[in-house]
Amino acid sequence: MSVKESGVVSQEKGQDGYKIVCERISKEFIQKGTQRVHVLEDISVAVRKNEFVVILGPGQSGKTTLLRIIAGLEIPTTGRVLLDGREVTGPGPDRGLVFQGYMLFPWKTVMGNVEIGPKLRGVPKKERREIAARYIKLVGLDGFENHYPHQLSGGMKQRVGIARAYVNSPEVMLLDEPFGQLDAQTRYYMEKETVRIWETERRTVIFVTNNIDEAIYLGDRIITLQGKLPGRMHAVYEVDLPRPREHTDMKFLELRHIITEASELTL
Amino acid sequence: MEAVANEVQKTVREKRPFTLLTILKNRWFLYAVSMVFFFWLWDFVGERRILGSSLARPHEVLIQLADMVTNPLAGKSLFGHIWASTQRILIGFVIASVVAVPLGLLMALNPYINAVVKPVFDLLKPMPPIAWISISILWFGIGEASKVFIIIIGTFVPCLLNSYNGVRLIEPELYDVVRMLGGNRRQEIINVCFPASFPAIFAGLQISLSIAWTCVLAAELVSARSGLGFVIILGMNLARPALIVGGMVVIAVVAWLTTLLVTALEKLVCPWKREIEGM
Amino acid sequence: MAYEEVKVKKPLALRLLPIASLVFFLGTWQLIVDFEVLPSSMLASPWQVIQLFVVKLTEANPDGAVLARHAWTSIQEAFTGYILSLIVGIPLGLFMGWFVVAEGLARPFFEMIRPIPPIAWIPLTIFWFGIGLAGKVFIIWIAGIVPCVINSYVGVRMTNPTLIQMARTYGATDWQIFTQICIPSALPMVFGALQIALAYCWTNLVGAELLAADTGLGFLITMGRRLARPDMVVLGMISVGLTGAFIGVIIDRVEKRLLAGIRR
Ligand SMILES: Nc1ncnc2c1ncn2[C@@H]1O[C@H](COP(=O)(O)OP(=O)(O)OP(=O)(O)O)[C@@H](O)[C@H]1O
Ligand SMILES: [Mg+2]
Repeated sequence: MSVKESGVVSQEKGQDGYKIVCERISKEFIQKGTQRVHVLEDISVAVRKNEFVVILGPGQSGKTTLLRIIAGLEIPTTGRVLLDGREVTGPGPDRGLVFQGYMLFPWKTVMGNVEIGPKLRGVPKKERREIAARYIKLVGLDGFENHYPHQLSGGMKQRVGIARAYVNSPEVMLLDEPFGQLDAQTRYYMEKETVRIWETERRTVIFVTNNIDEAIYLGDRIITLQGKLPGRMHAVYEVDLPRPREHTDMKFLELRHIITEASELTL
Repeated sequence: MEAVANEVQKTVREKRPFTLLTILKNRWFLYAVSMVFFFWLWDFVGERRILGSSLARPHEVLIQLADMVTNPLAGKSLFGHIWASTQRILIGFVIASVVAVPLGLLMALNPYINAVVKPVFDLLKPMPPIAWISISILWFGIGEASKVFIIIIGTFVPCLLNSYNGVRLIEPELYDVVRMLGGNRRQEIINVCFPASFPAIFAGLQISLSIAWTCVLAAELVSARSGLGFVIILGMNLARPALIVGGMVVIAVVAWLTTLLVTALEKLVCPWKREIEGM
Repeated sequence: MAYEEVKVKKPLALRLLPIASLVFFLGTWQLIVDFEVLPSSMLASPWQVIQLFVVKLTEANPDGAVLARHAWTSIQEAFTGYILSLIVGIPLGLFMGWFVVAEGLARPFFEMIRPIPPIAWIPLTIFWFGIGLAGKVFIIWIAGIVPCVINSYVGVRMTNPTLIQMARTYGATDWQIFTQICIPSALPMVFGALQIALAYCWTNLVGAELLAADTGLGFLITMGRRLARPDMVVLGMISVGLTGAFIGVIIDRVEKRLLAGIRR
């Protein structure tokens, strides 16, 4: 069988050659001023360069929080994140984050939303328009440059979010359930597109999802989180199916079965 | 079965013949009826002196207004009075919004400024601006300054509150977008805070404007030598109902026009804002 | 356990600053008067205002009524006008939101009256009703009715269209849809109007009393000015503010009660 289950990545493996390393991360939040919530517990992940890692977990398992910690938007309560061996202390344009809830600027057009990255870096107007236009085309939104977000469908908004993250050419892409609100067809199409973009623009990708099929279709490696708070790592699966993958492939279904059995995730 | 029944019903509806009822239920027809009734009722009440001699009939009001355009009243023509009120509002409004909007933004962005300003603001907030008229006359006399002061007081509160809440209600993840793309704190404020709070600020301006009209009238009713409030109080003192009602009509029209102006400005500045149907 | 209770304190500076700010404000105010930076004919100190407050609890002169009577008159006028505007405005707005005929007939009236600030009616009401209760109630009624109508109208208009279509497929009549779907879903907006209308009413009450009254808190302020007694003016202003805030709190309570009652 081409699928092997490897345990939680331990630190002894060494950190050299890894793009991102999360060392024993745990996270607590204070809610409503008085309630402490333990969201993540002892998460250790190591991601190789240009690897496509999928984090799979049910709702409320701390997936977004983990991604935000890697992005540098939240500081872990204990543990640390290393990027190229250096500790992450804050967000930066070397990582691109696609938000779960789109987070487009309603006052900017599609073009305005996508070009914001280069604009913040002080790239001159003409140049950044060109770059932005290229990525808008890449996600298939050419012709909609001058639309405002409220004139777009959910899937289109999500694609703007993806283009916006890609436009800075970050070495690491972090995607938070980007296709969660799409219909099945668009979703399938977007998954294919994601693989295509990943294959043309080789990046390190960390992709969060709650959908097993999506995880197997996309990932080189799947890390499952356990469902109850605090979120803990459950298992790590290497997926060495050849690409392009087929949802109906026997090995695909086999792996799907294994993951379903092993986690509380059903369907 | 039900679905089919509905289909039929729908097509029947669409092909409904043009009957008397459709005309009667037409919105614009009803508007016209209502307007005609309004003016008829007004004229009827005026003519029969149901409310004493105090309500001028519509055509008397029109004649009065036309007369005021050419013959100055208390040294000013009708437009002079309109301008007198509008000018007071403009000055007060501009001063208040220039101070209050940035202050509101600062309070929302900096907890220390907020901790200093908010208690005093909360202390003064429940006092209706009109309650300040007397003290402003004690301070500034009965000239222009006291009227402008009242307008500043009245418009300050909604301007500040709205810009403050406009910033505080921003989705915090929008800041994260800018931070993710390498923006610093200043860029966060320029790219997120300002544009995101525009609609709220404009809502505040609209509220301010209607309060400003109330304030300027109150101030002019209490003491003034010009302005639309002065026109209606003069009408009262001279027992000339046409002057009172004429003044009210002009106030309504001018206030309405200024509202339209702010709305147009908002459309210009915030083209992304979707319109909510209705009023 | 993932959840646990903890105590988190604000930084000390943030807890002290508001108090310091208020003390500074009141202190400066007191000192300005004490050292006559402003002449005593223009401003009264907080201490003078407190003294006058104690006096006015029992003493009717020089303005003809004790403080409680002024306050009571104002509250009475405000509440009468306020309740009347709710009784008329809310049903009117609801009907306008749903029935084409109601909207068509009432809207022009409403739109023509709406831009006139309620204060502008004062001269007419003095002619019509004199300076007694009725005139002021009329002005407050006009002031309160506008937000009531607008909020109820918008509330009905914003009813989720799917709900209405759903009801139609079950064969509900217009009236049933109106009472069973539109009104309940408009309720939050309608409750929102309670506070807004109250604020409008209270502001305009003060305006009405400045001009046409012989008791009431607004009248107290006017008398203070006429008698050149800044302490009286400030006392009147503070009373207006406090009473308004107090009524606001009561309405807020009532609103929460009603909402809780409806949710159940
Ligand atoms: N900034 C925050 N402050 C307080 N609590 C937070 C914060 N962010 C997340 N949480 C809490 O952390 C828990 C996990 O949230 P998180 O968004 O990471 O879950 P998730 O796995 O992404 O869920 P979903 O699949 O629904 O997106 C939730 O209970 C949430 O209330
Ligand atoms: Mg999430």
